Parts: sequence; C-alpha cells; structure tokens
Amino acid sequence: MSDTTLGVLLLGFAGLGPDQDHQRSMYEPAFEAHPGFEIVDGDLDDPAVDVVSICVEPDRRADAAIAALQAGKHVLADKPLALTAADAAKVAAVAAETGKVCLPAHHQRFHPMIAAARGAVAGGKVGLPWNVQADFLVAGGTPSPAGELANFAVYPLDVVLALTGLRVRRVYARLTTHWNDGGADDLALLFLTHENGLTSTISVGRTRELADTRPAGLAVHRYRVSGSHGVLDIDASRPAVVLRRGEASSYTTSSGPDGRPRGRLPGWHGPSTVDRLLDELHAAVTAGRPSSPSAADAVHIAEIVDAARTSAASGQPVDLQEGSR
Amino acid sequence: MARHSVIDDTRPLGVVIVGAGFIADHHGAALRASARARLAGIVDVDAGRASAAATAAGGVPWTTDLAEALGRADVDAAIVCTPNVTHEPIALQVAAAGKHLLMEKPLTITVPSARAVADAFDAAGTVVMAAHTHRFYDYARAVNDAIAGGAVGRPVFARFALLGGWIWPDWRAWVLDPAKSGGHALHNGVHLLDLVTWWLRDEPTVVYARGRAQTAAELRIYDYLEMHVEYAGGADAVCEMSRGHRPSTLDRRDVLVAGTDGVLQLPAEGWGSTVVTESGTSLLHPQAANGFAVQLDAFLDAVADPAAERAMTQADGVRAVALGVATELSIERGEPVTLDEVMQGVLA
Repeated sequence: MSDTTLGVLLLGFAGLGPDQDHQRSMYEPAFEAHPGFEIVDGDLDDPAVDVVSICVEPDRRADAAIAALQAGKHVLADKPLALTAADAAKVAAVAAETGKVCLPAHHQRFHPMIAAARGAVAGGKVGLPWNVQADFLVAGGTPSPAGELANFAVYPLDVVLALTGLRVRRVYARLTTHWNDGGADDLALLFLTHENGLTSTISVGRTRELADTRPAGLAVHRYRVSGSHGVLDIDASRPAVVLRRGEASSYTTSSGPDGRPRGRLPGWHGPSTVDRLLDELHAAVTAGRPSSPSAADAVHIAEIVDAARTSAASGQPVDLQEGSR
Repeated sequence: MARHSVIDDTRPLGVVIVGAGFIADHHGAALRASARARLAGIVDVDAGRASAAATAAGGVPWTTDLAEALGRADVDAAIVCTPNVTHEPIALQVAAAGKHLLMEKPLTITVPSARAVADAFDAAGTVVMAAHTHRFYDYARAVNDAIAGGAVGRPVFARFALLGGWIWPDWRAWVLDPAKSGGHALHNGVHLLDLVTWWLRDEPTVVYARGRAQTAAELRIYDYLEMHVEYAGGADAVCEMSRGHRPSTLDRRDVLVAGTDGVLQLPAEGWGSTVVTESGTSLLHPQAANGFAVQLDAFLDAVADPAAERAMTQADGVRAVALGVATELSIERGEPVTLDEVMQGVLA
C-alpha cells in the first residue's frame, strides 16, 4: 500500500433513523486506526481534505456527495448512497465526470469468507453459477424506521452482485413486518433474475433480540452458490470461536452488520470488513482508479430496491430496463 | 399402534400393492414389518414385473387385473405406486370397490381430479391418504414438534431445501414426461410444499415459482424448482427441490424457520456425518425410523378409526396438488398464481 496519508473530513453524523450514526460508531474509529488516513478539521475548500466521509441524513446524502466530488474530493458514502435510484445515478454521473473515487460503504463484500468466495467463483471452482440463495437475518438492535429493505438489503444485494458479476433484470419481492411494532418492513424476500438467467433469492431482515446472538448481531448470514460444476456454501457467521458458557453466548465473529465486533466478547482476529473497506478506499485513491464497489454499483442496488418496493406493492414481478440510467 | 383394537383384530389388514416400481419396495418393507397389515398381493400391468415382485415378496398372489385384486374378500386396502397420471382412475376404482387407499404422492395431477378422488372416498366412507412420506421422517417431525412446542413463537418464514443430483433413468422415464408425471412440482415439489404448509400451520394463498432445466436443456421438466409460498396469516416459505445439482452426489437437506420468538435451523452440514475418502466427501445418514413404516401406521390408524384426527387428511392431499399445479402454472407464466385460481374458488 502506498504510504500516502489522506486527509479525511467527517461530514455528518446521521443515518436511517435517530439512532443510526455510522460516522461515530464505524468510520471515525476505523479511520483513526487505519494507516494512511488522518482525520482533519476543515471544509470542502480545505486542500488538506482528500476524502469526505459522508453520513449526512439519507435524503441529503446525494447532494452532499455531489458537492464533495465537484470540490475535487474523494467520497466514502454511508449506505444507502441515496434514497432513490435516480438520486444515486446523479452521484454516479458526477463521480464519472470528475474521475474521483466514490465508494459506497458496501463493506460486507470484504468479509473474509465472502472475499475468498468471490475469488473461488471467479476462478471457476463451481463452474458457471446459476443460482444464489442468501440469508441475512439480524437479531435485535433498533429497527430502521425506513424499513430493512432500505437499510440492510444493500449488504446481501451487493454480495450477490459481487459474487456473480451479473446484473439484475427482474425483481419479485415480498415485504412484511413481524417483529417491529412501528410498522416498517422488517423482513424482505427478494427473488431476482439476473443476466444469463441466473436466479437469486435473498431473505433479509431484523428479528427480535435473541439470547444467543449479540444485540444487532447477525443470527444467520450465509450464501449458497450453485454452479454448473459444484456448490459453494458460505457461512459468514464464521470464522468464529464457538463458546459454551453459563449464560447465553455465541460465536465471536469477525464482524456484525456494521463491521465491528459486538458486546463484551472479543471479535475474530484480523481486519474488520470496515477496515478492508478503507483499504480499498486508500488503494483506489492513491492508484487513481475507480473503487470497487463503485457509485455505479450503488445505483444498480438502488434500482433493485426501488423495483422491490414496486413489486411488493403490486404483487407482480418488475422488469428493470437495461441501461436505463 | 394405539387404536388398532377398533378394527377386527383377528387378522391383519390385507393390502395389495399396485405398481411394482422402486417405491413399492419401500412400502412392501413397511408391510412386512407391520403386525397390523400384510401384503396380500401385487398388481402391475406388466405380468413379468408383477410375478417377479410377488415371488420376491415370498410368493404372494399377483395379477395384472386391478378389479380382480380389489374383488378379493381378503383385500382391504391398496397402496398405489403407479405413474402419477394413472392415480385418478385407479383411485376411483379403489373407492368404488369400497377399499381404503394409500396413494403415492401426488394424490392426482390436477385439482379437479384430486377433489373427485377425495369426494369418492368420502362417499364410500373409506380412507384415502396421500403418501407425503416426509411428514413421517424423523427430521420433519422434529421440526414440527419444535414449532408446535412454541420454540420459535409464531413461525413467519421458512426455508426448506432438498438438493441432489440426477437420479432418474433414461429419457423414457415417465417422471420426465410432464403429461405422465404432472411435472416436477407435482412429482417431488409437493413433498416440500406439503411439509412447510404443515409446519407453518397456515393456508397458502399465492405461489411464485421459478424452474430450471439444469441437467440438460432438452428436459421437459424443471429438475430445479424454487417455490415461494405466501400464507394467509402473513408467513412466507421458500422451498427448493433439486435433482439438477452437481456433483450428482450432492445430498442436501436444509431447514430454517424464523418465528416471532426465535430462529430454528436444521443446518445442511449437521444432519449426518461427513465421510472424507480418496474418492471425495460424502454424507453418512444417521440411523432413522423407517418413515414408510411410520406412515403405514398412520394410515392403519385412520382405517381403524376414521373419526380420529388424521396425520394426513384428504384436504391436505388436495392442497398439495393445488400447490404443485400453482407452481407449474407460475413458472409457465413467470408470475405469481393464487391458490384461489387453481382451487377454482373452492377451499379444500
């Protein structure tokens, strides 16, 4: 890695709902710990600022990202990058024009089990993938007032897209509420048809708190990739040390949905998914290349989320237009 | 075994097996192990196959004429293991003869015919039960017991996958002909559709399914099925039935049930022992109760006391057919299909 130190401006301390502040809970500590970054007090005009870490309110996020990019800064944007695909597309267009890095915080693709699996699929270990099944079920924590389709679904969607490299053409979705008294959806089922006829199915949601899972920890996080020549099972609740104790306890895994270990128990050793996200940010900025994931990836995910909402409301599948944005 | 004193204890129930294919062997073994029933004969349209099966079973009578077998006074019931398309006429013949019937799944391959069969047995006052054998396997009962005991609160989401590779013989196999089998949803999909519906204790309302001809593009059935079922109470199920996975030795059973109070899993890697050898990795199944024998007992219980609560009702059998039909229709259309449509507005 280049030893260039990048100045980081922390912009905004908001999220989906009053309790979500990934800037303070995730990015600030990760930037502080990560070599090659230095948090600076400043503004968009400050030449010491190379990167803007954006956690402003989701409905202002696209505008903030566009302003930062147009000021010549690179951007790390909390997920979701924007609340609609149209807004995300505006950001992506500006990122493309300016040539600056715009990295959406889809950090679960950097999970050690998933990152290894991406390499295995790309290397043909299971032949041509034709189906992916995914479960991303978080237990406890504060339900997102925007619903878990808007909040958590970004993660497994990004992982499925990163594993397969195939864009989604058709979406059928079910949104239901089972645990959240507030009414926002807390279980989304996404039935996706991709290019080349690959199909994927994602369950993503937030159950009530469970004694054997840390608050806001992942009770189930897994992917199965079926290919023409084999099957790959990814259990992202591992690697883990399994504990049996006098009280309810569970795995000590590498990361929760926010990329950080939870509770009193120590996490798995090694970099968290957010640390690896910052590795990618630093590498893309110093190499002058687009990041992976890119703003365009966030646009496609936002298109899928939009289509899922339309499908759930109508009870019918929704086709995505190729190259519509 | 609790209720058999209701029937005539002086002799076990006489049962003929109709259709001497591979699944008949499992039913025959269950009959041999039962003290409450006995194999009274074999019926098959192929005389050679019928006589061979009868000889293998210790020299029981055989015939190619179903009416002849059903006319015997020592025959009380039939277990039918013929191709799916023949289920309706055979079932109606058994009902008309006043005998009981354990019908290999699916009950029939259309909803009207399933209803006609259920009605015929109602009218005759005899028992018909569709052999959804998975209901009688240890794993399915363990999951059901846990849910019934409140382990997860109210179940709201179930995932159930049975994945394997190609097992069928050549292109002439009737299961590969949708006209004879009803398609893979009717042939094997109904196992999962019935089981999750039993576990969730809810009425299905909508099916959205996707199918693939995975093993060969020329297949006329979908050897991989994914079936999403929506229930009246708001629950959802995602079922996968595959005979299209590779390697063909894949042997996968995976259950996940999320409820209002918890999450239950029967992990894919947890239900057998892993054997690693020079020729690869395989699964060693745990010893288990014989599901066919447990199922036979449930059937004999129903025969002995038709008024008692049944492990598998006629309505269950009709509903499974409706779910299978909805699956095939949904794949054909690429859209969700309501149970109301396939049930023609009449509840089972």
